[in-house]
Amino acid sequence: MTKKSGKIFLVAILLILAIGLVAAYRIWNKPHKNVEDAAAITVTATELYNSFIKDSAKANELYTNKVVQVSGEVSQVSVNQQAQQVVLLKTAVEEAFINCTVEGKKVNAKAGDKISIKGICSGYISGDIDMGLLGDVFLIRSYPF
Amino acid sequence: MKKIIILVLILCSVYVNCTAQVFFTKNGMISFFSSAPIENIKADNNQVISIINTTTGEIQFSLLINAFHFKKSLMEEHFNENYMESKKYPKATFKGKIVDLSKVNFKTDGTYPVTVAGDLTIHGITNKITSTGTISVTGGVISVSSKFRVKLSDYKIDIPKIVKDNIAKVVEVTVSCSYDKKNN
Repeated sequence: MTKKSGKIFLVAILLILAIGLVAAYRIWNKPHKNVEDAAAITVTATELYNSFIKDSAKANELYTNKVVQVSGEVSQVSVNQQAQQVVLLKTAVEEAFINCTVEGKKVNAKAGDKISIKGICSGYISGDIDMGLLGDVFLIRSYPF
Repeated sequence: MKKIIILVLILCSVYVNCTAQVFFTKNGMISFFSSAPIENIKADNNQVISIINTTTGEIQFSLLINAFHFKKSLMEEHFNENYMESKKYPKATFKGKIVDLSKVNFKTDGTYPVTVAGDLTIHGITNKITSTGTISVTGGVISVSSKFRVKLSDYKIDIPKIVKDNIAKVVEVTVSCSYDKKNN
């Protein structure tokens, strides 16, 4: 190997290393999915809830871990322990809701309002029949739409 | 006479049912913390369903694994896909009882240290656990807090050797829930 080709070789190695490091750093710091601007599956609160009650396997496949845009009537707006807004959308079943935790932008709504909210559906948690508590379908990282 | 006894028994059971006090939340918080040489990892879940029956001392928690939120998106991805296999095992649950229920007066404001024992299911594996916690009653509002440790190998959560210095073998779980009264 001549002195010149040796130098080129060294530069090439350093370049590859640098690219590798930058790539690794970018993967490591990959941002969270942008929910606000993501394409969403549109569904009503009642439809979404019923699909989990009827066939949870199918509903999981359709909605879980996906961005959904749910329309419905607000039952309650509250705040959780980490000061995030929680919006409950009514379903056809009393005391069972689409439970949306809001990220960032506040939802400007009150009980009775008809709204659309976009978020990642994390699935359904059943309540407890013996103690008479019904489950909810959950939306995390939600945004008003 | 027999009929009267049966009637009394029925009335008693109805009475017990009516006075059973159930408190619940659907937005409780459970977070975990992993402390390891290379990095500390924390994730929060604010979508915890929990129910307490203050008459019997039954207490339950359930959450969806994929609702844990991490600071780094990559960690969240690895947590769900590689370690917890959240598609296969979407939920974690605890079903148990407050062992020393008599120490708690749900009608009087105060802070009551309690012991809870029951079944903890994570990653499809159920183990019996006992943990201490606190029940607080403030102006009639019940809240629960607890801190306990979960050994990953007890729940067959495998951490690849290559990242063994990034993730603790035992993680600390923090529970913090505030309850509403369930109207019967």
